[in-house]
Amino acid sequence: MSAILRLHERLRDALGDDAVKTSPEDLAAYSFDAYSEDRLPDAAVLPKDARDVGILVRVARECGVPLVARGAGTGLCGGAVPIAGGIVVSFARMNRVLALDAQNRRVRVQPGVVNLNLSHIASEHGLFFGPDPSSQKTSTLGGNAATNAGGPHAFAYGSMSAHVLGLEYADAEGEIVQTSLDEPGYDLTGVLVGSEGTLGVLTALDLRLLRTPRAVRVCVAAFGDVEAASECVSAVVAAGIAATALEIMDRTIVRAVEAHYHAGYPQEAGAVLLVELAGQPGDVDASERAVASLAKEHGALAWRSAASARERDALWAARKGAAGALGRIAPNYYIQDATVPRTRLPQAIRHVEEIARTHALPVGNVFHAGDGNLHPLLIFDRRDKRQREAVVAAGHDILAACIELGGTISGEHGIGYEKRETLPLVFSPDDLATMQRLRDVFDPSRTFNPDKIFPRGAVCAEVREPAPTGGTT
Amino acid sequence: MTAKHYALGALVPRDVCVPETLDALAGALRACHAGGSAAVLFGGGTLQGLGHLPERYDLAIDCTRLHGVIEHEPRDLTIAVEAGCTLATLDAALAACGQFVPLDAPRPTRATVGGTLASGWLGPRRARYGRPRDFLIGTTVVLADGTVARAGGMVVKNVTGYDLSKLYVGSLGTLAAIARANFKTLPLPAVRRLAVAALPERTRDRTIAHLAAIDVEPAAALIVNGFNKTIEGIDGADGRLLLLLEGSGRAVDAATRDLRSALGAAGVPETRLLDSEAGPAFARILDAYIEPLGSRSCTYRSLGLITDTGRRLDSFVRVARSNKLALETIEDLCTGDVVARISTRTVAEFAPRATAFDAERRTALANARVLVAPEKLRADLDAWGAPPHSLPAMRALKNQFDPTGMLAPGRFVGGI
Repeated sequence: MSAILRLHERLRDALGDDAVKTSPEDLAAYSFDAYSEDRLPDAAVLPKDARDVGILVRVARECGVPLVARGAGTGLCGGAVPIAGGIVVSFARMNRVLALDAQNRRVRVQPGVVNLNLSHIASEHGLFFGPDPSSQKTSTLGGNAATNAGGPHAFAYGSMSAHVLGLEYADAEGEIVQTSLDEPGYDLTGVLVGSEGTLGVLTALDLRLLRTPRAVRVCVAAFGDVEAASECVSAVVAAGIAATALEIMDRTIVRAVEAHYHAGYPQEAGAVLLVELAGQPGDVDASERAVASLAKEHGALAWRSAASARERDALWAARKGAAGALGRIAPNYYIQDATVPRTRLPQAIRHVEEIARTHALPVGNVFHAGDGNLHPLLIFDRRDKRQREAVVAAGHDILAACIELGGTISGEHGIGYEKRETLPLVFSPDDLATMQRLRDVFDPSRTFNPDKIFPRGAVCAEVREPAPTGGTT
Repeated sequence: MTAKHYALGALVPRDVCVPETLDALAGALRACHAGGSAAVLFGGGTLQGLGHLPERYDLAIDCTRLHGVIEHEPRDLTIAVEAGCTLATLDAALAACGQFVPLDAPRPTRATVGGTLASGWLGPRRARYGRPRDFLIGTTVVLADGTVARAGGMVVKNVTGYDLSKLYVGSLGTLAAIARANFKTLPLPAVRRLAVAALPERTRDRTIAHLAAIDVEPAAALIVNGFNKTIEGIDGADGRLLLLLEGSGRAVDAATRDLRSALGAAGVPETRLLDSEAGPAFARILDAYIEPLGSRSCTYRSLGLITDTGRRLDSFVRVARSNKLALETIEDLCTGDVVARISTRTVAEFAPRATAFDAERRTALANARVLVAPEKLRADLDAWGAPPHSLPAMRALKNQFDPTGMLAPGRFVGGI
């Protein structure tokens, strides 16, 4: 019997036929995420509870195959692609909200719960969940935790790590371990969040919920160019105005968005700034006046605020659907994710535009301006070899430019497979070796999501094909 | 400073080293590692009451001379400081441009950034603003073998490699020496107001219920019993409420109105408001967390759910009473913390009663940890409370980061 058939048999014996998928069409569905690389796993497994996950880890160890945890597959860096084969773990059957404790404003969920569903459920109690990646309609909380996802509201509420109060995970022995920020000891919760599935498999999360603000207002300012809009954001941040989101889209993105959503963004502007303000009604009024006046000082051509909740939701839906909207008009696009110190945003955008020009690629910019988190979208045609190569080179140049400006190569998407050879541009060999020490503790046999985050050793010169259309920012 | 200044319990280090540069700190640890010596890291020493006494203690490394502000770009809302920078220095640098980082540790003129982080200190404003770890965007540390390692950076959003900074926060100097800390900052609230009200008999529960029902998110809300010399206000039969409001003038005024009517409805007749004095009064609350009464007191902190503070408070009352100990408490309505200081009138009475209290509380208050205790008594107390479920992973971490056990051996949870 071949090793793969033996693996299938072991999995079926341990977890039952229902939980184990091995047909070619099933495996194909688990072979990719929103990054371009794909690789068929040897099996896909849908555990029903933490016990199943523990068993699964033991089977993977016994059979010497990797285990790759997968949320909804919306990741842009190949973090959920089984590069070395093995078992992909889907949490489609572990998608329950286990306990919502409104008084203590916390909730325990299984990893497969979809981000937006949690906020829907919490809203019945006057609560909401802070992190809201643009993929929130499909991405799962387990996946969000693995990548320390942020979203537009990370500016005000912080990324996932500020919202995970405790975890349950399966360790490399298949034991189920509980962590909590309230317990004494090392902050295992903190290092597991953002570890991209390389330290263990999450089986439950304790999350913090926030009280829904009494008033929320969304305003849109039109600017001549992205630089002016970025300068305005810097001024708003420096003035200490408590905005809950500060998002910029350039003309390319606005036009794509308007073609699909008709949300009412000004299409003639070089850039639009979306400002969300939340809090007590009087404070929101005062903040709007302050931001509007700063916008005017920075050359805003127009200012308006959403008149109704419906209009507000439409503006947000369009913003969060920006990448998808571009995908409808561009043959292919490639999203980059990088962060710079906030005041360096105008410079970073200039570099992005220069780099795109050098490589003869159109670019659209949509970004979490309040956090200095850029998402340039390079437009290309994947059938054209020159464009494919140019997009990889341009992506690399953008990351290098952001590092040069004191920034880093991922704000919220993670390193995954895509950026692992770029990591040494940010960290020294000693920094990386220290991170590997952590990995040695949690996963000495490199069972959990191998070939991710860390470089192969020598930098590989292989030309990788960038991400096709798909994914969000 | 003499070695005696750095004594912990009966342990006095053989040597003291006061590095002034990162290289010197790395050199000191490298030498320790090579020579098989055990080192304890010192900041201002304000939170050295935490944890077990070390098993071995040869060298004290005093980081207070590594005290500079390294980078501060107010428009980025970020700052990088050396670990020995005091909280007062950090606060002053930030306040000059209208910003702050809510580290909220006691004795800020002595407490250092590195010590505050390493101790895992948690202040009462964390429900509103977040924990110190949430503001820490990057670190430079020196590992046990002298290796200098960075994590994170100077940007506010970052998923680039493991977030090892989280690991060093709360590790009490048992994994690495924090040399530099990078923070994101917050704009200072325009107005700060501390409301103080004595709670008459049987008003505690009603006060909590009425406060929960109004649309006010205080920066901190504490019910205090005792601590009369340090904390503002005078106790009623149910103690006193101290509620810190922060925000715009309009928001604070609106909250004050809501608060007054809620307290009135709860049967609390009088609320005193401190405005210009709110900052110093809040600082004195923080000081109370670790303030000893000579050698005749011991202070615990229990973390838990907000809805469970009453039960834990009652347990402290019961166990203190059964051991003839006076009890003062701070009950945090926003975070769920219960801080309890037990004491006796004379030093001679204290040790036997406190050890009996500590043994008895291990069931009802298993998760309470010691914040400060008389040095002579420390070896007899359960400093950390019940060990966490994840202790085996923590042991493995210690073995990996400090295989020879030279960084404060035995000090941490489970004797790590």
